[in-house]
Amino acid sequence: MKNSNRLMTVLVPVLSILLAFLIGCIIITILGASPATALQSLWIGAFGNLRNLGTTLSRSTPLIFTGLCACFAYRCGVFNLGGEGQFLMGSIAACVVATQTGITGMPGLLLALIAGTLAGGLWALIPGVLKVCRGQNEMIISIMLNYVATLFMGVIYTNWLRDGSVPQTAAVPDETQLSRLFGLRVTWAFVIALVVGLLIYYFLFHTSQGFRLRAVGLNMTAARFNGFAVTRYMLLSFVVSGAIAGLGGGAELLGTQLRLINGFGSGYGFDGVAMALIAQLHPLATIVVAIFFGALRVGSTTMQAATGVPTSVSDIIQALVIVFTVAGLAMVKLPGFRAAVERVFRRKEAA
Amino acid sequence: MEELLRMEHITKRFGDVYANRDISFDVRTGEVHTLLGENGAGKSTLMNVLFGLYQPTAGSIYFRGQKVRIDSPAQAVKLGIGMVHQHFMLVEAMTVFENIILGDRNAKGIFINRDARRREILALSERYGLDVELDKPITEIAVGAQQRVEILKALYRGAELLVLDEPSAALTDQEVEGLFDIIRKLTGEGKSVIFISHKMREVLRISDRITILRAGETVCTLDRGATTGEELANLMIGRELAPSHYEKVEQPGEPVVSLTDVDYHKESKHAGLNGVTLTVGRGEIVGIAGVDGNGQSQLAQLVTGVLSPDAGQVDLKGSQVAQFTPNGFILESVSHIPEDRNKMGLVGDMSVKDNLVLKSTDDPRFSSAHGLHLKKRAIRNYARELQGKYDIRCASVEQEARNLSGGNQQKVILARELEGHPDLLVAVHPTRGLDIGATRFIHDTMIDARDKGCGVLLISADFDEILEVSDRIAVMFEGQIMGVYPGKNPPISEISLAMAGK
Amino acid sequence: MEFVANLILATVRMATPLIFLSLAELYSQRAGLVHIGLEGLAAIGSLVGFLVSLITGSPTLGVLAGAAVGILVNMIFAYATITLCAEQIVYGMAINIFAPALAAFIYRVYFGAGSELVQVGLMSTLAATFGVSTDGFLSRLLLDQTPMVYLAFLLVIFTVIYFGRTRSGLNYKAVGEYPKAAATLGINVIGVKYAACVICGALAGMGGAYLTTCYANTYADGIVSGRGFIALAAVIFGRWTGGGVLLACLFFGFCDALQIRLQVGSFGVPYQFFQMIPYVATVVVLAIIGAKKAGPKGSGKPYLKEER
Repeated sequence: MKNSNRLMTVLVPVLSILLAFLIGCIIITILGASPATALQSLWIGAFGNLRNLGTTLSRSTPLIFTGLCACFAYRCGVFNLGGEGQFLMGSIAACVVATQTGITGMPGLLLALIAGTLAGGLWALIPGVLKVCRGQNEMIISIMLNYVATLFMGVIYTNWLRDGSVPQTAAVPDETQLSRLFGLRVTWAFVIALVVGLLIYYFLFHTSQGFRLRAVGLNMTAARFNGFAVTRYMLLSFVVSGAIAGLGGGAELLGTQLRLINGFGSGYGFDGVAMALIAQLHPLATIVVAIFFGALRVGSTTMQAATGVPTSVSDIIQALVIVFTVAGLAMVKLPGFRAAVERVFRRKEAA
Repeated sequence: MEELLRMEHITKRFGDVYANRDISFDVRTGEVHTLLGENGAGKSTLMNVLFGLYQPTAGSIYFRGQKVRIDSPAQAVKLGIGMVHQHFMLVEAMTVFENIILGDRNAKGIFINRDARRREILALSERYGLDVELDKPITEIAVGAQQRVEILKALYRGAELLVLDEPSAALTDQEVEGLFDIIRKLTGEGKSVIFISHKMREVLRISDRITILRAGETVCTLDRGATTGEELANLMIGRELAPSHYEKVEQPGEPVVSLTDVDYHKESKHAGLNGVTLTVGRGEIVGIAGVDGNGQSQLAQLVTGVLSPDAGQVDLKGSQVAQFTPNGFILESVSHIPEDRNKMGLVGDMSVKDNLVLKSTDDPRFSSAHGLHLKKRAIRNYARELQGKYDIRCASVEQEARNLSGGNQQKVILARELEGHPDLLVAVHPTRGLDIGATRFIHDTMIDARDKGCGVLLISADFDEILEVSDRIAVMFEGQIMGVYPGKNPPISEISLAMAGK
Repeated sequence: MEFVANLILATVRMATPLIFLSLAELYSQRAGLVHIGLEGLAAIGSLVGFLVSLITGSPTLGVLAGAAVGILVNMIFAYATITLCAEQIVYGMAINIFAPALAAFIYRVYFGAGSELVQVGLMSTLAATFGVSTDGFLSRLLLDQTPMVYLAFLLVIFTVIYFGRTRSGLNYKAVGEYPKAAATLGINVIGVKYAACVICGALAGMGGAYLTTCYANTYADGIVSGRGFIALAAVIFGRWTGGGVLLACLFFGFCDALQIRLQVGSFGVPYQFFQMIPYVATVVVLAIIGAKKAGPKGSGKPYLKEER
């Protein structure tokens, strides 16, 4: 049974992805394009050559950060849906430091990243404190703060730090940017994302603190009875998850986006939630899923050019993956399903 | 008397486990037929089959001579079967009145006709002596009254056959008398009752016939007049019932924990403590007897640091406790087997091995550099060692704790809590729902810890368990300690009176 | 004076979609289903409402279509959470990701990329339909409203009566409080839960459709702008009762109206600060009321028929 459980955790998302692609192909066919051509162009667009691969990784980078943000919070049982707001606050802080302080180069870069991390963590502290002290629903509050952060960013780029006639801020100076890797689109931000992912993995599964944090997430009452400082862990996970998103916002701004502009970061928070859930809250799997979705987005542009199928079909596929995965994971946990699986296994053994 | 219900060759399987295996029994009109058996003998499962909550794997049911298929509670109610579950099926947010008319199929119309319904209910309650306050919310009435609401609910739906699942478990002796009066009135009016219990004394008083279940199978059916308590007990357990196995300690060592005039939410009779003074010494087991819900849970949580008292003093090993946190008590070598093992004791989604080291991952044996790196291999080896020592039956220590049987889950907790050689062990309902083998093992282990100098505070609603292992017995009623009695040759009738608040 | 009058009128208009969405949440939670996917349901409702009213020229048909698609999408939620026992919170998130993506996709496919702004005629008000003059403040408040506004208030009254006075409403509540007890009384728990999802889907779809047929005359991604989540807060704030929810919605509607009015006034403050008002108000309200009383006891928990 143990083995079949582990098998299911991999099998369900994989089958969900296949199923989502199948439906995607049906939609593509209905739209009058050839699914084979579409899939081929999707693949080439995402992974066809080194340049495209670089673009894919670049597009995945912010998703990795928000995915890890969700992953870390949920591991402790707090539903931080405010990844987007924390991401934006991080990028705003990084932008202010990089463009306003006059500190440039490596010190400016580091300072901007630290500022982003802090801003994200502080922004997450609000729902965290309200949950811990007031027992309030952290989901609604963190979502509300997403809207506030988006609007606040609007204040920055249309008003306070507006640069010129277009509503946007000035670009981060060249020497303060995160440099590109091998001349590709992808920047050091991707490396930072990987390192953060590895660190979280290590923390959760190889340290005593991480072990306890997971125990709090799985059974808060038992954790309390066994002497864990439950509220401290919950606050910690909120702040750290916000800090991860904030760092991501800073890194994305300093590496790829370079200036605050309308629509920046939109949807990253919920996308991160989706990825963490598909990856079943495993940090390394979250990275893989994020790269997969990054690829889908980059590839769909090529697909649109080749077949005329709109890029938003990739959003549908992504949404279907989450719809199927979550349902599938619930289904394999049903007693009836387990019994059926056992029956099949037993028949095999008997044969 | 004519036959009302017959269940034939009922089998119910959950996965690999047979909860009922080829059970047959029948009920006649106007009789009280008792199903007697230990926890896990399959009584409740059988009744849930009768009530349409479970579908039998095999077997058939006849009601008034007709073969029936009961695939939902609605169907059972339609036939005239009413059930009072062990855990009351009352909606707490609603009033007594609303609970009684809930799901009523006889009434017509869209709106609730309050006056008509009230008249009907009051007529019934008068006829059977079921005294209830219709407009009180469920949360504000006592357990005995809640039970009357449940019976009224069933009668209101026209029940001819009433199933009472462990109706006396949560009642005081006095309330049990009231219940028996009601049952006699019901059978006097031609209703039939299936009475489920594992308490011999009650069974002998109220039943007409008794069917004994053991490990999911019928042992036999007896007339009340043709049997004795000893015979029933032996049939139920399947072997001779022996007096306590254990030597009782009469002189405890120095106090490990002592409470002086401790209050906690003292206005609450069911979830508070009122002026509790109690001492547990080294090398003794102090048993807290009493009906569930008289402050026992709060007492346990107080001496493990989960709750802090409103007033009074708690001394641990001679020094007064200032800060009440679970961690503080754990550091003082206080162990806790909490009342709800799944909710409070274990992290079900974690493995057996993780649960075994839940409190001690910072220990140098299991991690280096103050918890910065877990020694997974050391943890696994340690878990395997405990698995053998405490006879934890699982496929591997990597198995999720939630997939273990109740007995093995409890052994995991026991292993974790006792391995650190605690000075005080607080055990709450440690054997609830466990089979005889596991219960015996847990008792042996507790006695063993006692003999090594550990003080044990045992809280249990199972009076037999208290008598079996306690060196001293304290009785709790409505948040107060009613008296402390010796565990050797305990004055049983005096203790029973104290449990009823007298 | 004009400012206050406009503010009150706008409050009613802005509260209406919130009432639909909050009632959707209320009916869902009263059956034990916490649904955080209303934002998504409203998004797809607003798009379909927009498209149908564009194609047929009838905003009423648009609203009905919005309700229908809301039901349809919510059946996914129903199947996953009721039959498969998936976690409600997680699945609500899945709906929040799926439904807006679907809406955006349909919009792109229908209008093609980079098309210009398409607009539809809004539902006419009662006064306009019957040609009544709307000079005084009271006649504007009471007569110059779309039928959707009246419907919303009627639904609130219906809800209060349904849960307070009817047999069916009592049974419905029991499912959310203690499904097992309800089942032992012969109430069809699964049936009620599915019915709740139909009601919830319809109301959420209508709430979304209101935005494109009665409020803005076009569709844009993100048009629901958090109302689905504010509705969740309104249900908590309104203590799970019809009347309470109405008051909460009027309050949040007022915040929204105030925000719009203040923007017009400008006062030299960046308009985004005014736009924050409804969101900040939600946070503040939740922080103040705390979690003293939780909702229906069975909320959030799956109901397995044969549970051991």
